[in-house]
Amino acid sequence: MADLLTHLLVPYILLTVASWAVGWLDRRWVVVGMGGAAIPDLVKIGIVLDERVVEAFLGVPFTYMPVSTLGGVLLLAGVITVAFERRRWRRVFGLVTFGGLTSLLLDGMRVYADGRASAWLYPFTNWRPPTPSLYVSSDPTVLVVAVLAAGTVAVLDRQMRVRR
Amino acid sequence: MRVRVRVVIMLVLCLTLGGLFVHAAVTEDKWTPYPDAADLSAGYESYVGQQLMVFGTVTETSEGEMRIRAESDGTAITLRVTETRTAVEPGGVVQVYGTLEPAQTITAERVEVVNSSRWAEFYKYGTSAIGAFGFLLLFFRYWRINRDSWTLEARDG
Repeated sequence: MADLLTHLLVPYILLTVASWAVGWLDRRWVVVGMGGAAIPDLVKIGIVLDERVVEAFLGVPFTYMPVSTLGGVLLLAGVITVAFERRRWRRVFGLVTFGGLTSLLLDGMRVYADGRASAWLYPFTNWRPPTPSLYVSSDPTVLVVAVLAAGTVAVLDRQMRVRR
Repeated sequence: MRVRVRVVIMLVLCLTLGGLFVHAAVTEDKWTPYPDAADLSAGYESYVGQQLMVFGTVTETSEGEMRIRAESDGTAITLRVTETRTAVEPGGVVQVYGTLEPAQTITAERVEVVNSSRWAEFYKYGTSAIGAFGFLLLFFRYWRINRDSWTLEARDG
């Protein structure tokens, strides 16, 4: 996967641009959308609690892989949503899911030697979508592009606010 | 909404996710079409001649060849990758797509470098840590935890 910083910057860029046209989409909501982008990265919990340890404890096969899929994003977006006040739920769920989707899409464009991304639409389908193989996760170019784009958007955003 | 109801909703969602963790592991063959290191260690001969993709850490490189160590579920296997001209240092991580040959060898069709050296891994985790820290700072600038209702609420109402 791309690094977490890149994952967070992509929805920042998209939602900040969208906020110029959508009145209620202010900075606090952009931040909520960015949070959703971190969901697929939670798969790295395996570094702290190894799948094999859980497997041995439960006595059944176990993998964290669904966290980095559409199903995992929807379920964890639900968990995050419920942590907010009831009147905010609809917006929070929409934005968190959006953020998660941008991360899945970005990761789906990574290099795979056989030309197919992981089955990130699981559990809805086991199909592995084709990948344009644009980058590998440790490629700093991806982060540089994201930081430059986010910086540009931040400057423009400031000017838009001053003008209002 | 009452805290108890919200906790129940969260539990149901988490249990569903837990169900997916088990379901995905049980149906692994459906979404990963290739044998992993554990499969290869257990029954190497039955996969000879098949196309496969493996992830592995480079242990040795030489002219047109490299050795990689693939690992899954605590089982490791060392494979010789032939017909590759990919530039990578030992310690780097590669994806190899090719045909499995006898004697723990893969004839590579395509080799992609995931991490060119050990440093690439540090880079990835370093930037991710910066991202996580920056996000938390930013989030709690706009939102706070209301300790009466145990909800996240906007700082400016």
